Formats: sequence, structure tokens, C-alpha cells
Amino acid sequence: MIVNAQDFITFLKKCQKESIGGFQQVIVPRRSSNPEEEKQYLFEIIRADSQPVLDAFRTIDPLRSLFYFSRENLIPVDKTKKRLIVGVKACDMAALQILDRALINDDFVDPMYQNWRELTTLISTDCTDISPSCHCTLVGGKPYNDQHYDLNLSKIGQTYLITVGSKKGEELLNLLKKEVTLAQPQGDDKEKVKKSRREIELRLNKQNRPYERPNQYENLRKADLENWIEDAKNCVGCGGCTNICSTCYCIIVNDETTGAEFVKVRSQDSCQLNGYARVAGGDTPRPKMYQRFRNRYLCKFDYMKSNFGAIGCTGCGRCTDVCAGEIEFRAVVQKNLQLPKGQE
Amino acid sequence: MVATNPYEVTSAEIFEIIDESPTIRTIRIKPAKPIPFKTGQFIELTVPNIGEGPFTPSSSHSIADKMDVTIMKTGFVTEYVHKTKVGDRVGVRGPYGTYYPIDEWKGKDILIMGGGVGMAPTRSLFLSLLDRIDNYNSITFLAGARTPNDMIYKQHIDGWRRIDKVNFLRSVDRVPDGEKWDEEVCLITKLLNKINIDPQGNPVVVCGPPIMMKFATFDLLKYGYEDSNIYLSMEKKMYCGIGHCRHCVIGKYYACKDGPVFTYDIIKNEENIWE
Repeated sequence: MIVNAQDFITFLKKCQKESIGGFQQVIVPRRSSNPEEEKQYLFEIIRADSQPVLDAFRTIDPLRSLFYFSRENLIPVDKTKKRLIVGVKACDMAALQILDRALINDDFVDPMYQNWRELTTLISTDCTDISPSCHCTLVGGKPYNDQHYDLNLSKIGQTYLITVGSKKGEELLNLLKKEVTLAQPQGDDKEKVKKSRREIELRLNKQNRPYERPNQYENLRKADLENWIEDAKNCVGCGGCTNICSTCYCIIVNDETTGAEFVKVRSQDSCQLNGYARVAGGDTPRPKMYQRFRNRYLCKFDYMKSNFGAIGCTGCGRCTDVCAGEIEFRAVVQKNLQLPKGQE
Repeated sequence: MVATNPYEVTSAEIFEIIDESPTIRTIRIKPAKPIPFKTGQFIELTVPNIGEGPFTPSSSHSIADKMDVTIMKTGFVTEYVHKTKVGDRVGVRGPYGTYYPIDEWKGKDILIMGGGVGMAPTRSLFLSLLDRIDNYNSITFLAGARTPNDMIYKQHIDGWRRIDKVNFLRSVDRVPDGEKWDEEVCLITKLLNKINIDPQGNPVVVCGPPIMMKFATFDLLKYGYEDSNIYLSMEKKMYCGIGHCRHCVIGKYYACKDGPVFTYDIIKNEENIWE
């Protein structure tokens, strides 16, 4: 089905205002209000005067932060809301699949994460632009979703081609049909979508050509330690890269019991901080910054691959954008995947 | 929506406190409902409004309605554990992780090495084995501490030594002036020279400070033990206990979920296992 872009935004605003479909929150990307970041986007709860930017590229804030907040109560669990999140990009969607495996597995389920996942409907959109740090194609991803969404929107001129991906998506489409007149796709609409997608992929390939590398990630642990020491020189250990990463989910659990009922709270943590793995008594396996720096790369490309069957990088590039030391993530990965001499 | 919340805490009351050494104390707790566990597994113990930490019970796993936890004063939470009084409330969640497969050890000569507060988890193992002692050929316990005053469970030693099939050897690293000791003075690993066990096919369990575990493992390999029969209790920083916080990751393994009990063959190729 085809929906007019403006009609769709009007529908989203109505959903928020009148709780259509029981949605208590409709979350969309908007342009950053900082004039120096004109081409940056942030998630916000839609308002009557919002000007959502559903396409473009991924937001500054990872989608993860809307499912796994920086601080949440585990017992008693915090309240959750039925939500509609629109404008989800493929890199963030891929990250969510990893988080699902980490936090909703056969052994244990994070109660808050599961609640948010169940109560949220996801509308993804194809990327129509790229940021200088975007590199999904370098890690086997694509700048559009072909699975895992409830609804997907692909821009064609001033309209969107809607694709249904789940029962939740079907229900939402039925709501949309009640509010807005939808059209049938024209003969070459699907071709137009393919063409736009291909164009973005080509732009990504071109942008990332200088960072191409052999993707034998098991070689990362063999990289020369001197490389890591050199690469970590500009790292100030702020933890920005992990805090903004679409797949990082490390937490600490604190007890905040004051009365009869036990209270447990989890807060975001970062493996880049010195105290991260320190045990009682003061021992830590990674006392040096370069060791923690290296650990982050090994976690993403080696450990997470073993744990979840997929590397923990979806190519969003946020870690490069946020880095106070201006460390280029892609360059570090590329350099350290080249085996030391004699080990090729 | 969620069947069970893994963070749910069972309230427990401290009914007895035993100060084992100047820095190590055993709290004996009675949980509001029984907490069945298998020896080697750990629990997350809450000191309300202070924090929680992972500890392996030091009592037999045959007992579920009461639990002993032996804790060294060495950090923020443990500092408060050492300030608790009889009647105080704590919280327990778990048990978590892997355990010693003692049902598979029928007819075996079992060696246990416990160093310092590492005697706590190994006491749980030892007591659990004693509950079914007919199943085993022999149990040898090598206990080590820095000084005689640091040696824990002193009040139980005579009783344990009287048990048929049990050989209990102890050593201290040094004897400071004014302390009395008439047993071995050496590193715990040297006690291996005092025993005579066929290492082939028999299990050995090691728990203690990382440096002791490291050298004990190397000496056990030299002694002839197979790496798949060396059981190590790897106690990393286990915040959540359920594989969600990633703090205890040892390469591709979670110390909390894939451990804390690992055989050496599994983790020997991972990095920083002794740190």
C-alpha cells in the first residue's frame, strides 16, 4: 500500500493525541535543534508542532536506549507504556536482535527489556541518506530492513510504500486505513524502491572503501599489542563509545532497599571504565587503558559472535561520532585485522 | 507478562555469626523459603540499601532451609557484612551457575585444595561429599592460609580428621611471632608432596586467590592430573549472576552462567583467567 507522507505524519500525531490503538507514546526522529548539527537526528515523543524526519539516516541516540534505559528498576519493575516507534533504521534493528538474544534467552529474561519489547510496535524506514560514519555494509548489513519490522516504509517521492512484517504491523495498518486513504502501488513503485536502496548502498560502499578489511574476526585477538597501545593513545576512557553503542548492554545492579520490600536498580556501565571488572580486594583483569580499549573490540567481534552468532557491531558509526579522542573505529578494526608479519 | 523475575530476592534472617578469623566471618542465615542449591553454585547476597555480591555457600547442599556463607572483609559490601548482627535481615537470590558434578565421582579419590577464604566454597563441597561418603573412595583436603590466625574452620578440624576416608592437611605460609602452629609451614601447593593419590581419572577441585589457583593448577598438571579433571571455581565480578551484565566475561564464557565451576581444559586458552 502507498500512503502520502504528510497524511502519515498527521496520523502519527493523532495516534499520540487520541491514543489511537492504545498507544501512549509515539516516538519519531526529529532534526537536532543545534544549528551546528543540522544533519543530526534525535528521537522524541511526537507533538502537534513536531516536524519528524522519518527517513535520512540513524539518530544520534541508539534505539537500544528506548528499550534498555540507562537506569531502570528491576524489582519492583517500573511501569511500561504501549509505544509506537517510527523511523527505525536497519543498524538499530539488527542491534535489537542481538539484545533479544542477550536479554530474553532460555536461561534468564530481563523483565524490563521484555516488557518494552512486547509493548512496542516498530515502524522501520529505508535510509535515504548516510552519515560520514555509517558503515553497515562493511559489517554485512544493509541500509534498509528486510525483516524484523512490524511495518516498513520506503520513500517514493512524497509517499511511502508500506510493507507489513508482522501481526502487530497488520493491526497498525488497519488503524491507518480507518484514518487515511491509502493507494495501491503503481507499476514501477517497487522498482523505484529497489533503485533508491541500491543508490544508498553504492554511496556506503564508496564511503567505506578506504576501510575495507578481511572479515576474519577471530584474528583480532592475535593483533600486535603495540597496535592497541598506539590506537588507545587518544582514548580518554570516557565510555562514550559504549554508552552510545547500539549493542552494548553492560549494566551494574544496585540495591536501593530502604523498607520492607527489596529494591534492585540497574544502571548502564562501561567496560572502558577502570573499575568495571574490579573485584573486591582491588584486582582487575584490565588495569591499563589499552587493555580496556582492546577488550571493547574483542567483545564486539569475538566474544559476542560466540555468544550470539553475530558480531556486536551493526555499523552505525556512533562510536566514531562520539569519541572525544577522535578515534576512527573503522580504522582500528581494519588495522588490527591485518595479522602481524609471519602469521598471515 | 514475565513468568519469573530473575532479580526476585528471598528475605533471610541471620541467626548466628561465627568470626572465623580477623577478616573472615561466617553468617548463618535462615531464608523465608528454602533455597535448594548444588554445591559449587553461588548466590547473590544482599545487604539491604548497601549492595549485593556473589558468594558461594559454605554449608552442605543437603540443607536448603538454612545456609552458611563465609565472607572475607575485602570491599564495600563485605565491610557491611562484617557489621551485621544476629537478627539482621539480608536477601538472597539464586542459586546460579554450574556446580561440582559429585554424582559422577562415585568410587573416586577426591582431592580438594582450598586457600584462604577459598576454603568456603570447598567446605560446602566437602560437607556435601561427607553426606554421601560411602559413594567415594577417599577425600583429601589441602587447606592453606597465610598465617595460623587466618586459618578458618579451626573448630571443625578435629572432628573432620576423625572421619574414616578423610585426610585433612593444613599449611600456613608463615607463623608470625606470638602465633602457635604445629602443622606444615609452606605454600599450599607444597602439600602435594605429602599425599599419594593416583591422578589418573580422579578429580581435583581448586579454590582460592587467583595466584594460588594458577600455581596449584600448574603443579597439578605436573603431578599428572588431566586438565579435564581439574575443577576451578572462577569467581569474577558477577554483578547480575544471570549473564546479562557481562562483567564476568572470560572470553566467550560467562563466569556466572558457564561457571563459576570450570574444568581447566575449557578455559585454559582464554585470556586473563588468573587475574
